[in-house]
Amino acid sequence: MQFGQQRALDSLDVTVESGVTGLVGANGAGKTTFMSIVLGLRAPTSGALQVLGLDPAHRGAELRALVGYGPERNVFPDEMPASDFVKHLAEVRGMPRQEARGRASDALWLVGLGEERFRPLGTMSTGQRQRVKLAQAIAADPSLILLDEPTDGLDPVQRDEMLALIRQISAEYRIDVLLSSHLLEEVERICDHVVALDAGQLVAQGRLSTLVGTDEGVVVELVDVEDRPDALVQVIDALKQAGFDVRQDLGSFRFEVVGTDADAVADHVRDAVAQARARVRRIVRRRRRLEDLFEGARR
Amino acid sequence: MSDAQILDRGYRRFEGERSGVGGAMRSVAWHTTRSILGLGRKARHKVFPIIVLVVAFVPAVAFLAISVLLGDLGEELRPEYWEFFGFAFVATIVFVALVAPEAIVRDQRDGMFAMYLSTPLSRWSYVASKVIAVLGTMSLVVLGPPVLWLLGYTFQSQGPEGFVDWFGVMGRLLLAGLIVCIVYTAVSLGVSSLTDRRAFASIAVVFVMLGASIVTNVLVDVAELAENWRVLDPLGVALEAAPRLFGDRSEEFATVSTWLVAAGCAGWTAFGAGLLVYRYRRLAAV
Repeated sequence: MQFGQQRALDSLDVTVESGVTGLVGANGAGKTTFMSIVLGLRAPTSGALQVLGLDPAHRGAELRALVGYGPERNVFPDEMPASDFVKHLAEVRGMPRQEARGRASDALWLVGLGEERFRPLGTMSTGQRQRVKLAQAIAADPSLILLDEPTDGLDPVQRDEMLALIRQISAEYRIDVLLSSHLLEEVERICDHVVALDAGQLVAQGRLSTLVGTDEGVVVELVDVEDRPDALVQVIDALKQAGFDVRQDLGSFRFEVVGTDADAVADHVRDAVAQARARVRRIVRRRRRLEDLFEGARR
Repeated sequence: MSDAQILDRGYRRFEGERSGVGGAMRSVAWHTTRSILGLGRKARHKVFPIIVLVVAFVPAVAFLAISVLLGDLGEELRPEYWEFFGFAFVATIVFVALVAPEAIVRDQRDGMFAMYLSTPLSRWSYVASKVIAVLGTMSLVVLGPPVLWLLGYTFQSQGPEGFVDWFGVMGRLLLAGLIVCIVYTAVSLGVSSLTDRRAFASIAVVFVMLGASIVTNVLVDVAELAENWRVLDPLGVALEAAPRLFGDRSEEFATVSTWLVAAGCAGWTAFGAGLLVYRYRRLAAV
């Protein structure tokens, strides 16, 4: 996908399976562009795409009747009650009027806004508005919903609730979800599959458990011993000299040692600690994280 | 003990048929019409449309009342059917200045345009829905008074004689009203689409339509430009369609040919439509 000289998405070859798929990447990675192509609102400069068995570029209207969309933008018609907003969009997506009315009410109850459904959108909090976006996305019984940064602006408690709702929608109502996020942690929490983008290029894709499931070294925490102030530095230097990638949180006695064989890495850590006469508080297996995929791609 | 139960309806699959692009357009057009007329909104949103409709219908109601009281008004006093388009002129201008901004500007500001594009609507079917809504509501103000006059006059047995004549008059009234509505809808929507602030849009619509009208008339009447330049008056040239359909001419356009009047109407419509297309091709979808 190219805008003038700017290539927004490059050589993307992606297969998205059923369940919750996280479209992950930093701001500007191409997530929203990808979503707009999936919705058929932009045609790719080259290449082809199939969504729910339809070509979005040629059968966009048909496809969009089956897809719910929750935009990143948090702007709504302020005076409109939530129920009218959800009902209207359900009608526009093809529901008969009475059906749309009932489904709007049901969707708002499902996202926890049943009691608030007649409140004007302008009086709602950010958390409630995010729920309204989710309600309107599911009200017309879509086969797939696209959610652009659905936890944007939410506090930790609201974020947990929103992620649980998204998970519930996929697991209980069998609606596939493609959610974009720049927060790797939330994608790791609820997604079955991941499509990771960086600067418009595919970094990784596949089942989350496959991508992050293998043990990748160890996490070590040393004790701050007064008479051994250089112990931490000596241990890290020794491990680096042994060829390991060591990642330390600044000012912390905790560091990660990345390696393919966790047992071998642990043996090297043990030797380095003994040599530096340091003391270990904790040593645990390190699980590979999505962040590693991005760091690996950048190196 | 009551048998009443609270049932968890849960989430239900929809097995029926979806209404597709046509249904989406109907829904947006109806929603927009309700919004313009203030239906389903707070009382303050209803005040303005009601005032405009009352002002638009006052001349037709007044003439009908007089004709009921006095009988036939006679050739001298009785207005021509097409003259009612001009009687509602002020109400029409005010309505035009507020209808188009209400119909499209709000959607750009509050994110509804982007939401609509995530539905079966494309940007062009969205624009078509808005055009239908604006045309429909504008026709209430533009077509309502002359049609009311014709019906009222007919019920007093003073209207056109015979079935064919009556439908001939009604058909020409509808066609004239449609031409006025199309020109005003195109210009007002085109101008309104250039901004995402309703107040600016209303001012811009008045500025373009009334401004062009005043400048043209000053240039022709004071600077003595050729009469044909009157086709640059968007308000006048559209209204001139009505007398032309009745085989008549207004005083201002007396020397302007019907073809030039038609070209003026087409030109202003193309101008408005061109602005609309230019703007909506560039508006970001998602």
